Amino acid sequence: MRLGSSLAARAFTLVEMLIAMAIGVAIIAATLTTSVALQKSFYSVDNYFGTHIQQIRIVDYLARDVRRGLSVVSSADKHTVTVNLPRYIIQAGDADATGSNIGTPRAPSLAVVNRDYNINYLPTSASSSSVVVYSISGSSILRTEDNVVTMIASSTDSLLPETVDVELANTEYTTTAITFQPLSVADRNGTVVYSTAYLRNRRRAIPTPSPSATP
Amino acid sequence: MQTRKTSQESGNVLICALIAILIVSLIGANVLSNSTTRLNVSSNHVRAWKEALEAAEGGGEMAFAELRKQTSTDAAVRASQWSGWTTSGTTHTSPQTTFGASNLIAQTAVETLYFDASGVFHAGANPDPAQNNWYRLRSKGTAPLPNLKRTGMDDALVQDGQTHFAAFGSTQMKDIVARSKGDSLLRKIDFQYDHFVSTYGPNGDGVNKTLVAPVAAPSISRRIEQIVTPVTPFFDAAIKANGIFYGLGSAAYIDSYDSRNGPYDPTVKTNPSSPYYKDSRHGSVEINSGTATIKGTIYGDVATNGGTVINSQYVTGTVDNNVPFTLEDYHMPDTSGWSYQAPGSGAGKLPSSVTSSSQTLTPPAAGTSAAPNYYVISTLSGKLTVNQVAGEETYVAIRVNSSNVNGDGIIGGITVNPGVHLRIYFDYNISTKNSDLANNNPTSTNPLASNLQFYGISPPRDANGNPVRTQTINLNSGNPGTLAATFYAPSAAVNENGNPDFIGTVVCKTFYANGNIAWHYDRALNSKGELLDFRIASYVEDTR
Repeated sequence: MRLGSSLAARAFTLVEMLIAMAIGVAIIAATLTTSVALQKSFYSVDNYFGTHIQQIRIVDYLARDVRRGLSVVSSADKHTVTVNLPRYIIQAGDADATGSNIGTPRAPSLAVVNRDYNINYLPTSASSSSVVVYSISGSSILRTEDNVVTMIASSTDSLLPETVDVELANTEYTTTAITFQPLSVADRNGTVVYSTAYLRNRRRAIPTPSPSATP
Repeated sequence: MQTRKTSQESGNVLICALIAILIVSLIGANVLSNSTTRLNVSSNHVRAWKEALEAAEGGGEMAFAELRKQTSTDAAVRASQWSGWTTSGTTHTSPQTTFGASNLIAQTAVETLYFDASGVFHAGANPDPAQNNWYRLRSKGTAPLPNLKRTGMDDALVQDGQTHFAAFGSTQMKDIVARSKGDSLLRKIDFQYDHFVSTYGPNGDGVNKTLVAPVAAPSISRRIEQIVTPVTPFFDAAIKANGIFYGLGSAAYIDSYDSRNGPYDPTVKTNPSSPYYKDSRHGSVEINSGTATIKGTIYGDVATNGGTVINSQYVTGTVDNNVPFTLEDYHMPDTSGWSYQAPGSGAGKLPSSVTSSSQTLTPPAAGTSAAPNYYVISTLSGKLTVNQVAGEETYVAIRVNSSNVNGDGIIGGITVNPGVHLRIYFDYNISTKNSDLANNNPTSTNPLASNLQFYGISPPRDANGNPVRTQTINLNSGNPGTLAATFYAPSAAVNENGNPDFIGTVVCKTFYANGNIAWHYDRALNSKGELLDFRIASYVEDTR
């Protein structure tokens, strides 16, 4: 059988149109909902791992500075960590900077303090060591080295370092725990990252006055 | 039924399908890109960055082990020091060592150095052969990264419009913000070139900057610098005792000076304006967990390891009762490299037992601090005078390995003439007068304690770990004079019964003195004496 075509038969009926539109809307709605859900899921996962990587970056920064530090102390609220470092690199403006030696390693000097050798990397014998302060500013973690501020992480809303002074071994270490609150999840349990770093140098007395916690 | 197809409908499905595939592909590519970056950071960069430090520290450990071969009692071990390393002057460079499952690479340079009396750094060996050298270990550790050279980093904070990797020596260089943010600021990956060599030079001093490929690409390298100090027997204490300390006399005192700054001056210790005032306040006493009964004034500190200090008001410095203390038995060092002189008579010889009241010795050769003329005698009951060889600095070591019926090995006298550096090793006791130990090097009025050194070899221990005999050093009263010497006898009970001017230091098991002695510790002894071991005194990482 062959159907003839006529202009009158080419259009859909109203019912057909309504059904088709309903089906189309349903499909589009489902697609949109799925897309939004997928987008949210992807964003949440991306945010989770992005923040997790920043956690690792924070503890790596802290561990690096503590290892090469001369002393380390945390504030009473455990949200600020101060590390004293050797001034290993000659910087512009240092007393021993000559122009040509800026950016080069400094030769060490020797002092005997409390029946122990102190190897110092200082512009002059009266200079103080470099001071690095880790602090929280809003949702960011700041690292301030000799008043130069670097934001090393953001969206990590809780830095919880803990410093323990161990006299017995004449050393010192920091135990750091950092958590964050994932998107769409009220509980921050399960996001904690722990790190313990020991001073490689023999601990020295904390210089006074202590540097300010915030830049 | 058959419907008629029109050509206008035939392309829509294909286009729609292609667009759908494109959209899905973009989503997939985006997910893959993010996932790859995160995976690289979490599983590769972090691991490699940590392992690079382990490699650098491993290189430092290998160098430290190489250094410690110096203290081995096995001549073969000492002879193997720096085997396979490249030596240039006083610097030794290791070969590149690959180890571990991650194929970590380590290389270390060991530079000889010393500090002068002012604590100023000098490269090279100490010109004073009596001083032990220091060393600087510069170690580089490299961890190769898997994947291609374009392996990504997570620089989520990098969109700041700032210049990354500021020019060498520029002001911006001080601002580390200018050297990127995020992970690339912390974990610097070498892709095509070694960024450290190209920016700072191979030694980090700005010399010989050049574009060189990294040892592995891509990879992460970290560099550390460690300063190694010799562990010496007389470091920064006038008297060290493993047990009790009692003394000195009520009118006695212990102070210090630095012979590298000139002769001893008794006025410095009470003259804060003197440039050497701080050198006068190191007449310190260290004990373990026993009791230190202070008599007289101590111009220095008193340290105990949980011990007790009586009369701490006589201490001008600090009293610290929480200082770790370790004093191991002392054993005769390996003498195979020394110039042994068999017993005999005549020039350059010593009899098997020195009994003559006028025994003189002029060795056949000057020798060196590391290879002195070496004599072994049973007892020394006579008077021995050691002379230098033809105006040269002369090094002599004598072992007294037996005793008389009273257990005394040395009851006679010893005179060290100018130019002579004498080390006495004794297995049994010393019982002699202060005035019978004369140190005239460089002069009788300004002798250096390091030129007459006594080492008490610890008695063997039985199966229960107890010494098979006691060891004592009795320095008896004689005509008051100057006794300049060092005693390192960790198993000996020392009794100083006279009241001489004493220049030097005593390390012993117990110490007792009751005379009004003027005791001067020479800070030049810090790096002198028998090399016992090495210790890492400083650690710093070059984070550039």
